[in-house]
Amino acid sequence: MDVNAFVEGFGVVLQPSNLLFCLIGVLIGMFIGVLPGLGPAATIAILLPVTYTIEDPVTVVIMLAGIYYGAQYGGTITSVLLRLPGEASSVVTVFDGFALAKKGKAGTALGIAAIGSFTGATVSIILMSLIAPLIAGWALGFGPPEYAALALLGVLLVATVGNGNALKALITAAVGLLLATLGRDSFTGTERFTFDSLQLADGLNFVVIAMGLFGVAEILHNLEQRAGKAQPPAVVGNVWPNKAELKQSSGAIGRGSVIGFVLGVLPGGGAVLASLVAYAAEKRRAKDPSRFGRGAIEGVAAPETANNAAATSSFIPLLTLGIPANASIAMLYAALLIAGVRVGPSLVEDNPDIFWGVINSMYIGNLFLLLLSIPLVGIFVRLLRVRPAILAPLTALITVLGVYTLNNSVFDIFVMMFFGVVGYLMKKTGFEPGPLVLAFVLGALVEDNFRRSMLIFGGDPLGFFTRPISATLLVVFVIVAVLPLVKLVLDRRTAALAHDNSKREDVTL
Amino acid sequence: MTKLAAPLRTAALLAAGGLALSACSGVQNTAGGSGGGDTYPTGSVEMLVGADPGGSSDLISRAVSDGLGNELDGSFPVINRPGANGALAAGELENAEPDGSTIAIQNASLFAITPLAVPEDEATSIDDFDVVGGVSRDDYVLVTNADSEYQSLEDLEGAGSLRYGTTGVGTGSQLAQALLFGDLGVDATDVPFDGGSPTLTAVLGGQVDVAALQIGEAIENVESGNLTPLMVFGPERVEFLPDVPTATEEGLEVEVAQYRFMTVPTGTPSEVTDRLTEGMEATFATDEYQAFNEQNSLTPMEISGDEVVAQLEEDRERYAGLIEEYGINLGDAS
Repeated sequence: MDVNAFVEGFGVVLQPSNLLFCLIGVLIGMFIGVLPGLGPAATIAILLPVTYTIEDPVTVVIMLAGIYYGAQYGGTITSVLLRLPGEASSVVTVFDGFALAKKGKAGTALGIAAIGSFTGATVSIILMSLIAPLIAGWALGFGPPEYAALALLGVLLVATVGNGNALKALITAAVGLLLATLGRDSFTGTERFTFDSLQLADGLNFVVIAMGLFGVAEILHNLEQRAGKAQPPAVVGNVWPNKAELKQSSGAIGRGSVIGFVLGVLPGGGAVLASLVAYAAEKRRAKDPSRFGRGAIEGVAAPETANNAAATSSFIPLLTLGIPANASIAMLYAALLIAGVRVGPSLVEDNPDIFWGVINSMYIGNLFLLLLSIPLVGIFVRLLRVRPAILAPLTALITVLGVYTLNNSVFDIFVMMFFGVVGYLMKKTGFEPGPLVLAFVLGALVEDNFRRSMLIFGGDPLGFFTRPISATLLVVFVIVAVLPLVKLVLDRRTAALAHDNSKREDVTL
Repeated sequence: MTKLAAPLRTAALLAAGGLALSACSGVQNTAGGSGGGDTYPTGSVEMLVGADPGGSSDLISRAVSDGLGNELDGSFPVINRPGANGALAAGELENAEPDGSTIAIQNASLFAITPLAVPEDEATSIDDFDVVGGVSRDDYVLVTNADSEYQSLEDLEGAGSLRYGTTGVGTGSQLAQALLFGDLGVDATDVPFDGGSPTLTAVLGGQVDVAALQIGEAIENVESGNLTPLMVFGPERVEFLPDVPTATEEGLEVEVAQYRFMTVPTGTPSEVTDRLTEGMEATFATDEYQAFNEQNSLTPMEISGDEVVAQLEEDRERYAGLIEEYGINLGDAS
């Protein structure tokens, strides 16, 4: 790492105009993050003409990057308060975040999410400053076989999230995998379950399903519960996590930072997998895993830390190789091109001010976000004091508008409503939507990458074991899958033995 | 804060959010019709894009939208309607009022290549649209990893078997390479990815031996020496890669071009299309637009609508003949 360039990068960021645009960026980001549907990619697209008028490309990219990671902060707020995950990477936060909000501890959840997000992002930026090129090389070695193996492991972890029984979780996960097969086959162009509708040609959209199963279902459920009764607004307790809670989450935040940084480098699904793996890791480590899904503070801290760390490290492929990891970063890439900066492997040498300016602006931007969170959490939490009669229609309005803005599609609104009813019925029958939406996201990853791998291996499945990373991941998969079964068998055997022994004792007596 | 004020403030906040949202989403309630005899456009004009924000289709539409807005003194908001390689946006445009209130820049591949890969009833036909004029060409370049054993066309020809990465089924990237390896007679496996970035990653990571990428996607890694460009599939050499020969120069009959052009629903009055042509010509002449083309490695293809249609017909027939000749199956269409 070039220390001089690094220090000069700070000089660039600390110019008043850059600080101002950084603040504007994170504010816009946080705001659109709160609105489900309107994502950072669409926002940057809308703001693109504004960026033409800004002279300095560093300023442009500082603002746009702020929108991107600011949106990650904002997304948590609706997940916790309204059970509306705006992005795949905040689905996991819903389980414990919304449970905490129901207990009157929404402030605790949002507070720990803000602290975790800040820590995760900062750790990720530091690691990025030190080893960006190294980790970029690692990401390139991560081809279809590795993705297939990792996503398969992810599907297995899906069953561990939530608090329902494992069998029901497996059933809903299976439904999620099936839903992922909808749409035009990306290898042959064959239509699958599209009923001759072009609307379904690209399959279902994750956000549409999630908003239906979580958000709309919650509204329907509340309507039923509140019918005919005057309801007092929900209790809103403390607004900031206390020392014990901070201490309880510190491990989760630490582990989440590293998991997020490493998996975030992988384009396409890295952030989702990071939040899922971080959550599953905490649940496995916990002395009492049954707390998870019922309002465990680590269940919010781990995924929120991980998804922010991942959002940060997802800049690495762009800044070192010129590969945009997702739609938002592709938009950022486009804005830089328009500003006359080519982003590729030679960026560090040709434009060190941009490279280090972007990275260093993230330190400042995340600090802004943490400081903004303190007053804003207090304000947002008051949202729960709004009478349900007002809050429910407002939430419905937000979800409908949000889903429409995704693809400007009315069809999507009906799909969301359909899944709203499905989600309501699932809630009535004790099925959780979490495994379904996560399996849905991972299903497409598993299928596409498995088929791609088979093409690459010339049809030989043993090829997976010829590559170190995919082989390791598959071994971990087998261990995680088989261990509980072995344990179960052993437990039964010891129980049976004990039973036999007691019988014998009876006889001898 | 009093108990009354809290919900009010949050409600105001949400209302503001809702307003901002509807403003951003570009919902229009005015028609851009030219019925009154006023000069077009009289209202705001929706520019549909059949792709997500961030890709080259989206960026080109935004650059043209910006230019048209300035030159014709109107508002041309870009509306993203991604899905089915652009067929969803095409369907919406086809059914829109033919009064100039809805227009779209569309891709040649949707009309010339995708029909070879999807069932007939899903194929989009250019006859359902009036073509205003051409915009630009976005050529494909064949690349290999600089560390791989394949550093020339001869190396590829001598290969026993190859894996080639494409940017998806029914794209020019797939067609171009299927034709190339058919022509060379090399046993090659098609590995489709979901767009340009993952394909670029796969060839950089060595998971595929070779790939066809759009110039803009590949150029950074070509210039830094990570990728070796072998040839371009367009009709002539590309300004941005002047030393890279075309397929035709290499004696291969595998010319595949991707280009974009402005379309309106059939039956749109000539006053509208004339004004659009005027606006596009003025846009093409601006320094900003020319710089945009350069930055995105796009070659101007500012030809008339009739020429575009003729080119599309010619391409479609040539591709169909070639895939039959080599026995290539792009999808399940055949």
